[in-house]
Amino acid sequence: MKRFLSLALCASLAILSACNKSPESSASNGSGGKKLTIALMPKSKGNAYFISCKAGADEAAKELNVDLLFDGPTDPDPAKQNEIIETWTTLGVDVIAAACENKEGISTALKKARSKGIKVVTYDSDANPDARDFFVNQATPEGIAETLMDEAARLTDSEGEFAIITASLTAANMNEWRKHIEARLAEKYPKMKLVDTKPCDDLKDKAQAEATNLMSAYPNLKLIMAICSPAVPGAAEAVKQAGKTGAVKVIGLGLPSENRKYVHEGVTQSVVLWKTKDLGYLTIHAAADLANGQLKPGAKEYNAGRLGNLKVEGDSIVLGKPFIFNKDNIDQFDF
Amino acid sequence: MAASENTTPRRHAIGEVLFRHETILLLVLIAEWFYFNSVGRRFGTLDNTFEIMRHSAEIGLLALVMTPIILTGGIDLSVGSLLGLCAILFGKLWRDAGMALPLAAGCTLLIGALAGGLNAVLIARLRLPALIVTLGTYSLFRGLAEAITRGVDTFTNFPDSFLALGQQHFAGLPTQVWFFLVVTVVIWLLVHRTTFGRSLRAIGFSPEGARYAGLPVERRIAQAYILAGVVSALAAIIYTARLGQAKADAGTGYELFAITAVVLGGTSIFGGVGTVHGTLFGVAAIAVLDNGLVHARQPREMAGMLTGVLLLAALGAGALPKLLAKLRGPRHSSAPPS
Repeated sequence: MKRFLSLALCASLAILSACNKSPESSASNGSGGKKLTIALMPKSKGNAYFISCKAGADEAAKELNVDLLFDGPTDPDPAKQNEIIETWTTLGVDVIAAACENKEGISTALKKARSKGIKVVTYDSDANPDARDFFVNQATPEGIAETLMDEAARLTDSEGEFAIITASLTAANMNEWRKHIEARLAEKYPKMKLVDTKPCDDLKDKAQAEATNLMSAYPNLKLIMAICSPAVPGAAEAVKQAGKTGAVKVIGLGLPSENRKYVHEGVTQSVVLWKTKDLGYLTIHAAADLANGQLKPGAKEYNAGRLGNLKVEGDSIVLGKPFIFNKDNIDQFDF
Repeated sequence: MAASENTTPRRHAIGEVLFRHETILLLVLIAEWFYFNSVGRRFGTLDNTFEIMRHSAEIGLLALVMTPIILTGGIDLSVGSLLGLCAILFGKLWRDAGMALPLAAGCTLLIGALAGGLNAVLIARLRLPALIVTLGTYSLFRGLAEAITRGVDTFTNFPDSFLALGQQHFAGLPTQVWFFLVVTVVIWLLVHRTTFGRSLRAIGFSPEGARYAGLPVERRIAQAYILAGVVSALAAIIYTARLGQAKADAGTGYELFAITAVVLGGTSIFGGVGTVHGTLFGVAAIAVLDNGLVHARQPREMAGMLTGVLLLAALGAGALPKLLAKLRGPRHSSAPPS
């Protein structure tokens, strides 16, 4: 049985070695060498959103000639991100770039990494400010709100009634967006009227029910704006089932993949989000420049390769205006 | 069947030690260590060794208390959920009820004991199957944790003095490792050096036989589940200190890691056979694999895969001698094939 066990072990180690073409050559190029090692962590590994971020990260890593490690939780254990980051810390990578699932929890691990001289960048969702050097911000609340409002105005010729479906009336980020949407509305579109705002608890079927209610309560409703991602297909389904395709337009903040069907059917006019590939590209670009000293705290502007000059607000680098996905371009994106 | 391993003739004493499950697992562990040390530049450092210990303390604790339970032929699927429940109750007692941290910790251990007691009553007193009972409490405890926090409330901003328990060192070792060592020693002594441990094995072999032999079967089984509850609560406190936050999803899936470690460590899932040090090796084999793969710059999915391979190989190795003996026919030799 010993022979059998050692055979099994050898087999598994052989698999390992086979996958691991030249571990020594990359391992010996750590912090002391020329080639930087940047570790990129998604919130969860199988998520299409982050896979798409990684495509951009790979592009930047190739362009800047850095080693890119990509790893993240594959199970729902909230301690997993910490464990991987702590292991990266002992491994001695140069920069850690993380999308944080648990702000407080991950901050302890990131702080520890910083105390060992590792640079830390967060992207997509931030950690505590003292746990990282920079936050790569995919979109500011103003940017999201203004893009949504302008798009709503464009689709309704700047007049008529519209309603918002949000996740909950207490969600901090969405309330921030709503504040900016209302400010934009008051400032630029006097003929438009926000008639109601309904919460959907981040559930698609609840969003569908709310959208149905809104359409019967406000027969003149011209557009539904869904600002949490499950609400966009939810509202679209309601409009479709009510037979009001085109009469009541749907826009929202969500993933192209979840809305592709409705966009092609003409139920949903546009979906607003950032280009995740650019987010990954920018994250690695900033991480590399942070490590080699080209990006310093206090910078006002940052030149991010193919993305050009981007604004730096305090310690967050802003990707820019969100992107609008519609019938013409939505098939080019697979997240 | 399993008893035959214990009753092989004495003349193969050295061979027996060498081919014992634990010995082989230890060799596997050493092989793992050397492999990762040759591939990962910083794998073998003291810092990293401490990290491995820190990361495996909670699952290690759960595996330690799972061992006596599996020895009785039982199982406890609720330990991971109980960890989550205890973590948020600990946070709630401290933040919302305004208790001092030591008091909150004491109450949490008590809650753990009560929760373990619930399993104990249902399994030992009402004689319901452990698998079904703990499957129920597995959902119940996690559900309670989610209901209490509504899935969104998290407890953070613990004082540094408390976080030191999970993040700092004490007398040269990560603080929680001391707790782990104490629990290890206590459980090892309990299982291997007391009548308590012997009665657990007897129950595992044959509950009815143990009952006829005059052993307090119900009480022993109940004690094993209550112990599991208390130690799960301790693991919850350590987990909270390590992450600096308590959330309802803490410890998701830990029960399966703990069971894997125990079975990998050579404890029979049917009860009666197993050791505490075997469980320790099992925990270490999984933890080293998990950490080593990052150092070898391999994706983490490999960890799950290789753990599976390891477990199946260990089980296969256990079944192999019998299979070989069958193939060889009725020959007199009982020497291990090597």
